[in-house]
Amino acid sequence: MANIAAQRIKREFKEVIKSEEVAKCAIKVELLNDSYTELKGEIAGPPDTPYEGGNFVLEIKVPETYPFNPPKVRFITKIWHPNISSVTGAICLDILKDQWAAAMTLRTVLLSLQALLSAAEPDDPQDAVVARQYKENLEMFQLTARHWTNVYAGGPHVNSDCDEKIKRLVDMGIEDHQARAALSSYNWDLERATEQLFS
Amino acid sequence: MDSTTESVKKEAAGSGNNNSESKDENKKDDQMFECNICLDTARDAVVSMCGHLFCWPCLHQWLETRPNRQVCPVCKAAISKDKVVPLYGRGSTKQEDPREKVPPRPAGQRTEPEPGTSFPGFGFGDNGFHMSFGIGAFPLGFFTSTLNFGDSRPSAAPRGTQQHMEEQFLSKIFLWLAIIFIAWLMMA
Repeated sequence: MANIAAQRIKREFKEVIKSEEVAKCAIKVELLNDSYTELKGEIAGPPDTPYEGGNFVLEIKVPETYPFNPPKVRFITKIWHPNISSVTGAICLDILKDQWAAAMTLRTVLLSLQALLSAAEPDDPQDAVVARQYKENLEMFQLTARHWTNVYAGGPHVNSDCDEKIKRLVDMGIEDHQARAALSSYNWDLERATEQLFS
Repeated sequence: MDSTTESVKKEAAGSGNNNSESKDENKKDDQMFECNICLDTARDAVVSMCGHLFCWPCLHQWLETRPNRQVCPVCKAAISKDKVVPLYGRGSTKQEDPREKVPPRPAGQRTEPEPGTSFPGFGFGDNGFHMSFGIGAFPLGFFTSTLNFGDSRPSAAPRGTQQHMEEQFLSKIFLWLAIIFIAWLMMA
């Protein structure tokens, strides 16, 4: 049965390569091994979102029972999003769980993830801290997401205020990403972030 | 699996231009009949009520994977094993694949046409069916038949006799009665 999984991925792979989304650089798939069980996906941050201009890398693991069970997908690129864990990159998306259907393909999964980036579901969160910020302070959320996109996904928007605050924590001996995560969680309140980091 | 696609490629490469064009057309045709699960040309094809095509082994496995959420893999309409239609093409050969130990594809359901019968219609006489319909003017019929207006009365009494006078009188009374009765019918 692993046979059908490999064969299908092979066909899908060709389909993705030929698709117009690839031509527009919106999505991309690469093979990581010959057995078609691990792939690397890439999606472009959708326009008019804080993720615009960023490129987000995904890890795709194809189970033996594919396509009867969904592929296991997570973000490798760090991202600030209510439905994606800012720590592990785990994704909360129904079609990757119980709403999976055997006719879905790598292409539709990647497009769904892209759609998730433009339409978050804060009421069904993966990352509770991000979701709370999204609901309570949307502007702060957008600023943070844009900053993360700039740092981790190559987005164009540099936020010198954020960089400044992170630098001060780094100077105190905190690791760069740890400092960014703490500040992001506390709405870029330097005092509270410091307190949390040293408590 | 690999070998089939390879051989197709080789054939396409080996044949002339005309042939490869027709191959492309064939390929397009084949794509129309791809199983929505394995993306290969559907084998033991079945079609769901929502119109989506699958290999029977593929669809069976999908239904087995989620026994309590049986939905179409394409459109998520409710489907079930009993509600798929098998497709029997003309050139189909029975290819048994020992790997798939799935129950046989459900058979097509075929109903006999209604036995022998066009609608009998109004063919009077054919089936000994008769129907009559009459309109009778009851009171007049009553008077004519019972009171015998007309020629065929029994011998009229000779003129001038007592009986003749009485008969004349009676018939006048009945005539008036009839007229009044008809008038009453008209009014009612």
